[in-house]
Amino acid sequence: MNIDVSSIMDVFDSIAPVLPILILIIGALFMPAIQMIFKRGKVTAATALVVVIISAALNAHMLYHGQTGEFSSLFVYDAFSGLLILLFQAVVFIAILVASVSRETTARHVGAFYALLLVATSGMCFVATATDLLTIFVGVEMVSIPSYAMVALKRHDSRASEAAVKYVIIGGLSSGLTVYGISMLFGLSGTTNILGIASYVEGAGYSAALIIALATMIAGYGFKIALVPFHSWAPDVYEGAATPVSIFLSTGSKKMGIVVFIKIFFVLFVFIQSTKAGMTEGMQYVFAILAAVTMTVGNVVAIAQTNVKRMLAYSSIAQAGYMMIAFAVLSQWALTGTIYYMFAHVFMKGGAFVIVAILIHAGIGETLKDYRGLAKRAPLLSALMLIFLFSLAGIPPLGGFTAKFFLFSSAIVTDLGGAVTAQWMWLAFVAIINSAISLYYYARVIKAMYVEKGETEEKFKVPVPMMVAAILCVLGVILMGVYPGPFLHYCSEAAAAIMSLLP
Amino acid sequence: MFIEYTWLIPAIPLIMFVIVGLLAKGDNNRGGGLAILGALATLVISVLVVYEFLTGDAYATEGFVTESIKWFSIGGYEITLGYYVDGLTCIMLLFSTFISLLIFVYSMGYMDDQGKRKSRYYAEISLFLAGMTGLIVANNYLMMFVFWEVMGLCSYLLIGFWSFNHPQGDEASDNAASAAKKAFLVTRLGDASFMAGLFVLLYAFQSLDFTEVFNVAAIGNVDHNLIVIATLLLFGGAIGKSAQFPLQDWLPDAMAGPTTVSALIHAATMVKAGVYLVARSFPLFTQSAEVMLFVGLIGGITAILAASMALANNNIKKVLAFSTISQLGYMFMALGAGGYLMALGMNNSDPALMALGGLGYTAGVFHMLNHAFFKAQLFLGSGSVIHSTGTEDMREMGGLGKKMKSTSITMMIGSLSIAGFPFFSGFWSKDLILDTVLNASKYGSEGYLFAIVWILGIITVLMTAFYMFRMWYMTFGGPEGPATETCHGESPKSMTVPLWLLAIFAFGSGFLLLFGLDGIITIDAANGFLVGTLAGEGALYWVEHMLTNPYTYLSIGLALIGIFVAYLMYSRFAVNPGKFNKEGTSWLYRALENRWWFPQFYDWVSWTFGYKVGKTVNAFDQKVVDGAVNGLASAVVESGESGKYMQTGNVGNYASVVMLGMSVIFVGALLFIYYMGGM
Repeated sequence: MNIDVSSIMDVFDSIAPVLPILILIIGALFMPAIQMIFKRGKVTAATALVVVIISAALNAHMLYHGQTGEFSSLFVYDAFSGLLILLFQAVVFIAILVASVSRETTARHVGAFYALLLVATSGMCFVATATDLLTIFVGVEMVSIPSYAMVALKRHDSRASEAAVKYVIIGGLSSGLTVYGISMLFGLSGTTNILGIASYVEGAGYSAALIIALATMIAGYGFKIALVPFHSWAPDVYEGAATPVSIFLSTGSKKMGIVVFIKIFFVLFVFIQSTKAGMTEGMQYVFAILAAVTMTVGNVVAIAQTNVKRMLAYSSIAQAGYMMIAFAVLSQWALTGTIYYMFAHVFMKGGAFVIVAILIHAGIGETLKDYRGLAKRAPLLSALMLIFLFSLAGIPPLGGFTAKFFLFSSAIVTDLGGAVTAQWMWLAFVAIINSAISLYYYARVIKAMYVEKGETEEKFKVPVPMMVAAILCVLGVILMGVYPGPFLHYCSEAAAAIMSLLP
Repeated sequence: MFIEYTWLIPAIPLIMFVIVGLLAKGDNNRGGGLAILGALATLVISVLVVYEFLTGDAYATEGFVTESIKWFSIGGYEITLGYYVDGLTCIMLLFSTFISLLIFVYSMGYMDDQGKRKSRYYAEISLFLAGMTGLIVANNYLMMFVFWEVMGLCSYLLIGFWSFNHPQGDEASDNAASAAKKAFLVTRLGDASFMAGLFVLLYAFQSLDFTEVFNVAAIGNVDHNLIVIATLLLFGGAIGKSAQFPLQDWLPDAMAGPTTVSALIHAATMVKAGVYLVARSFPLFTQSAEVMLFVGLIGGITAILAASMALANNNIKKVLAFSTISQLGYMFMALGAGGYLMALGMNNSDPALMALGGLGYTAGVFHMLNHAFFKAQLFLGSGSVIHSTGTEDMREMGGLGKKMKSTSITMMIGSLSIAGFPFFSGFWSKDLILDTVLNASKYGSEGYLFAIVWILGIITVLMTAFYMFRMWYMTFGGPEGPATETCHGESPKSMTVPLWLLAIFAFGSGFLLLFGLDGIITIDAANGFLVGTLAGEGALYWVEHMLTNPYTYLSIGLALIGIFVAYLMYSRFAVNPGKFNKEGTSWLYRALENRWWFPQFYDWVSWTFGYKVGKTVNAFDQKVVDGAVNGLASAVVESGESGKYMQTGNVGNYASVVMLGMSVIFVGALLFIYYMGGM
């Protein structure tokens, strides 16, 4: 088929750049109706999947043909937003596959659940295209509010309710902080456009008010990424929520937080750095320390966990720490590495959560004890889990390793022909040591599965959609490890698109 | 015409891994057959490649053949996949594929009673072979690292092979599991260091390809300190993989795996990867005499430390494991001393000193080759004994010599070789090593440290001869032990034939030196670090070199004393070993028995810094930060009284951490910006 991209432009005119997102929103609106008509959760899930696939196909088409566009100067579609939208679509695809058969999610509000899921996804996509503090804020809230509801939808479960309450309270606090920061920035610079703010900062220098604004925004959005010390909600929420929701939050919502950081802080400081190199160094150190603390705390605390979901939550915190390296280094290479890492993380962490979901579905449970002797009961599942965990630990030739290689190397090596600095070598070393530590707790899960004896050797059935999700993830993990070329190409295009925003 | 197909060498076992792993099912030997076929094909191609390379033009001129394709590129750098063949590659390829093939064949007998799990075993050792050969032919450090880790993974899986269901009971299977984990985690520490080294190299050289990194002009342009950092980090990787002090403790525990695995991975091949890494990176390591000194010192300490632990151990496999560590120490001693001399030679532009240093390189690599044969032989021999008696405890053996003729004779050959008995293979390389170390002690301001290393090395000769023959006499000599009475007699042909083949090499591989092997494994610092120069010394040169050196007779004498003492103690029972250790109560004996308390130290460190810290921070997270909200939940579910709790300020804790964090960021940012400019 040879459809010219411009034909999409012709048909939809100026809406074209946000079309994949609009499809998601329209789909979301239909969900409750479909549930009401067919009264079967599987039909609703299938419809949601179809919506996501249409939206993703369109987006992939646009991305492949390198389309760029702008919608009322608030949303920009380019290589970066296209790629990140694809990431969020992949996340929701996996989440829907798992949710469609999961017994953990609600049985009474199926329509509402999928509607919330799709709305939250479109919120993430909006963040990926947004260029303005206000649109970013609205996008983030569009994700947060449905997320609170989705966590709470697992009713009659005290852990879920507790998690939801905690999530709402801390989420509200964070939003408050963020708005406060945005308003101060607006007060100072007179604009909410990030490049506008950047040129203001460049001219006026830092003031105490500006630093307060930055700190509140780091805290507010750091909550989304679960940066230490704003992380303590994450383990409770991931553990308490239904596993499909945990998948969605840990792989999707967290990535959105990183995207926000890229859109705001990366752009801001790279912009300033490009003209006044010495001016950003202080903030770079702030991010470097945040990154180092986050990865270390995440990994160390994960060692002490006995609940696998909680352990994965802490490991997610550590992974967020790795991705923060880009904000310390502020180079295109680091950004490429971070984007690549985001994709690898979707597959490996998403895959691990899918396995957890399957086991919960089979009534096995989610603590390390329950995993004993799993290799006898479900050899394929155990092998998949093994691959996901090894990938998370960064063992080659899996996706987690290549991603770590790209990301960590960026802290030491500068782009070919770039200025030579050994400033962040320590950060790379901290990250490498951390990834060595992380193997310790992943190996505990593997040991439980493969070594310790279970109470039974009975086999169990695995629902097909969940298995499909797990297989998709494992393919992603292996492909990203063995043949990184094409993925890397798109990631560096995306990073280049962010860099090209700069004058 | 064959070298272009070098990539097939790791690819074939990899394909076999996939085929055996996916298709071979059930209790039969189809998986084994396929794996052997793969190993055979690998060996044949390796031989063809080596033959073509050594007879080709490239060998005499550039010294290597390399070819690569692009894997990916990032930040303007291109990372490649490809092969790099030189003299070192050739030697490594030949012995590792040959020994792998023999051990695969041996496995057919040894693992025959393992039922359905056999397929898994053969899949994993095929993957291992792919890892090892991939490491050897890799043309850049990243590719090397990937295969390096693949081997680590296989080692983990194979040590834990018996973790489900050990032939010797549940305790042994728990043991296997924790040993596997320990091996994996400890070597990972080394791997982390290796990875950091990769980044420093990429930073310094803007490339990871050997052709770029070993380029003399490129080395000259790079900051000297960066090379020092990079080589130290790479050596950290080698310490982990080759079980050197202070990370040596995983290897004895790794003996929990099947004996074939111990022979293949933990003696003949994988543990050599660290030595190979240092030998391969010689052009970098020799940039700093201090780094090479460090390598030599670590080697010397490890050699004597591990040998001392072997003195008091009663487990046949563990004695061999300690001896492996000790022998690896010798190899690092050789590389360290040789590199030290070479570095001094390059600083002073003294070609004679550089040539003397090259001898250390030859000695180290040569010892690696010899060790692969005699240690594989010894491990397979011990496997044959274990297969027959069902125990690893030497106190229950004894008198097996009559029942297992082939095993006992071949193991005698292996033991003589490792002890350095004249003209057995270990003799040539070990004395060449000691010779180099002694030479190194004569040059440079820190040379006296090598005198200490030499003393450590020469004492280790005595210890080695003693513990090897202690092992041999306890197993095969003396009166029959309980396990001997119930043993099945000699092992099947599939096991004894590899034993004999290896024994022939364990005896004779030393003579390769007389046929110009030194020409292949030499490095020429004066000539762009050319590996291999085709022309080795004549046969008589080495005989003369060895036999006119008085120190050779010293080490021969010490070896004979060691053997004789072992004979008196464990065969004649003329001397009671209890007299020396106060019946096992002397502190030295307890130190040896407890491996100098290394395992306890590791446990203490991981317990204190890993688990306890984790627990504490976790408690902080749960109790202090959000203890507040716990309990709130049930309130919400049951009575909806959340408002009440919120007003009492319980959630306050949680929120105040957020606010506190924000304030810290504010103050931190303020300070950083103030000091670094921008205000």
